[in-house]
Amino acid sequence: MFELVDATKRYGPLVALAPLSLTITAGERLALMGPSGSGKTTLLHLLAGVIQPDEGRVAIAGRSTETLRPGRDLARLVGVMAQGFDLVPSLAVVHNVLAGRLGEWGIGRSLLSLVFPRELPLAQAALNRVGVGTKLYERTARLSGGEQQRVALARLLVQQPRAILADEPVSSVDPARAEDLLTLLVEVAAEDGRTLIASMHAVPLALRYFSRVIALRHGHLVFDRATTAVTEADLTALYDLRQEEARDVR
Amino acid sequence: MTSAKASPAPLGGGPPAGHVPIRGRGLLTLLLLGALTWSLTTVPWGEPLVHPGGLTVLGEMLVAALHPTVSAEFLGIALAASWRTVAYATAGVSLAILLAFPAGVLASGVLVRHPVLRALTSGASRALLGVLRAIHELVWALLFVAAIGLSPFAAVLALALPYAGILGRILAEILEDVPPGPLAALRAAGAREWQVLLYGRLPQAFPNMVSYALYRYECGIRSATIMSFVGLGGLGYQIQISLDDLRFREVWTFVYCLVVLVVLVDLWSGVIRRRLLA
Repeated sequence: MFELVDATKRYGPLVALAPLSLTITAGERLALMGPSGSGKTTLLHLLAGVIQPDEGRVAIAGRSTETLRPGRDLARLVGVMAQGFDLVPSLAVVHNVLAGRLGEWGIGRSLLSLVFPRELPLAQAALNRVGVGTKLYERTARLSGGEQQRVALARLLVQQPRAILADEPVSSVDPARAEDLLTLLVEVAAEDGRTLIASMHAVPLALRYFSRVIALRHGHLVFDRATTAVTEADLTALYDLRQEEARDVR
Repeated sequence: MTSAKASPAPLGGGPPAGHVPIRGRGLLTLLLLGALTWSLTTVPWGEPLVHPGGLTVLGEMLVAALHPTVSAEFLGIALAASWRTVAYATAGVSLAILLAFPAGVLASGVLVRHPVLRALTSGASRALLGVLRAIHELVWALLFVAAIGLSPFAAVLALALPYAGILGRILAEILEDVPPGPLAALRAAGAREWQVLLYGRLPQAFPNMVSYALYRYECGIRSATIMSFVGLGGLGYQIQISLDDLRFREVWTFVYCLVVLVVLVDLWSGVIRRRLLA
């Protein structure tokens, strides 16, 4: 599904991602771990095709991200769930969900839908699936943070990408909700054999819900293992590295 | 790696940049105070501030303020004049919104991705909006009265053009300053720029834009009043007629009408704003 070959990203003198090569097969559930500033978000953006590597190449479903212009083609391959969910607060929920169809819609349908929502059953089904089916016509701003996150997920369901990339999906919800949300995310991805990639801060959650872990630090790969093969030593190493990092800052 | 052992970075060497030295500021203050003192000597202190008959007239005006004309016949005239002023303002501001929308969207440059093309379209629209609002509505009114005579169209157009300039510019700014996160999410979902405008920028800009347009409508009522001084009917015209005959009580009736209008519009826009924010 994804292939990185010596992909490198720099921001000025700062190496955000040192040459990294990896392959992610379809249907994998992959957690990106590492302290903040480790390159998780950079890697996620490379995989989403939002940014291009300075050197090396990134391919999604066999196509180089350089040839994948933002728009419908990219939207059919990857869907992104940003940290702040990034819904439009003043719109009704239904429009935020149907925004996932904009890549497929022309001008007439896009305009008309703002007055008479198009493909309503699709939106309703997606909202039912994520458990906020009754909020169809509510103003998005009135929803709680957790509900908004579910709406963002419904938008992805309507978009129907082959991979879902989530940036810290549970960083802003309380632990009980985090479990619910991850269960939902994993189920939804599994239903259609979608690939799921998420940057994760909480180690126990990452180990419980994902099949593979990629740990980064300072843009370098620390380890890349199946979750079942991650050892205490790996985590201790990551923990110690964090300590060292804290000292570096001082 | 073991920077914990390294010596701490030196904390600032030399004075902080970007400051006018204290001595320089003192000198400037002295110079400005000197200039102010000198300027006072050029004021002709000998002449009285108010001309001899002025105080009497002022007194008459104040007394008239407490006794505005309220005969039924006269109130009918005042009501008709108020209605006309409201009509001018409503038509003018509505037309302004219609003109400002396309011009503002173009001026914001959010629809055009090509940098040269964007600079051209955005620059041209901005220049147009700039010209429209550089000329005051009163001047537009004089121009239109000269061109098409004392017709209501002159008033409506004179109000619409400068207001389109103001509203268009504000719309462009609001559209540019919309929170970028949701826009990026829409693009990631495959939306093109005009779809981002429809589903992201405009909905996010809408409450601000409505709020500002309502404020402008209130200004429009006052502008419509002033504009009618050039002979276009309405409250201003009536105020002028009564003032020419020194009938201060009638003047005050019209002034109170204007106050009521502005307060009503303010209350109405407050209701709408609260509903938008709720």
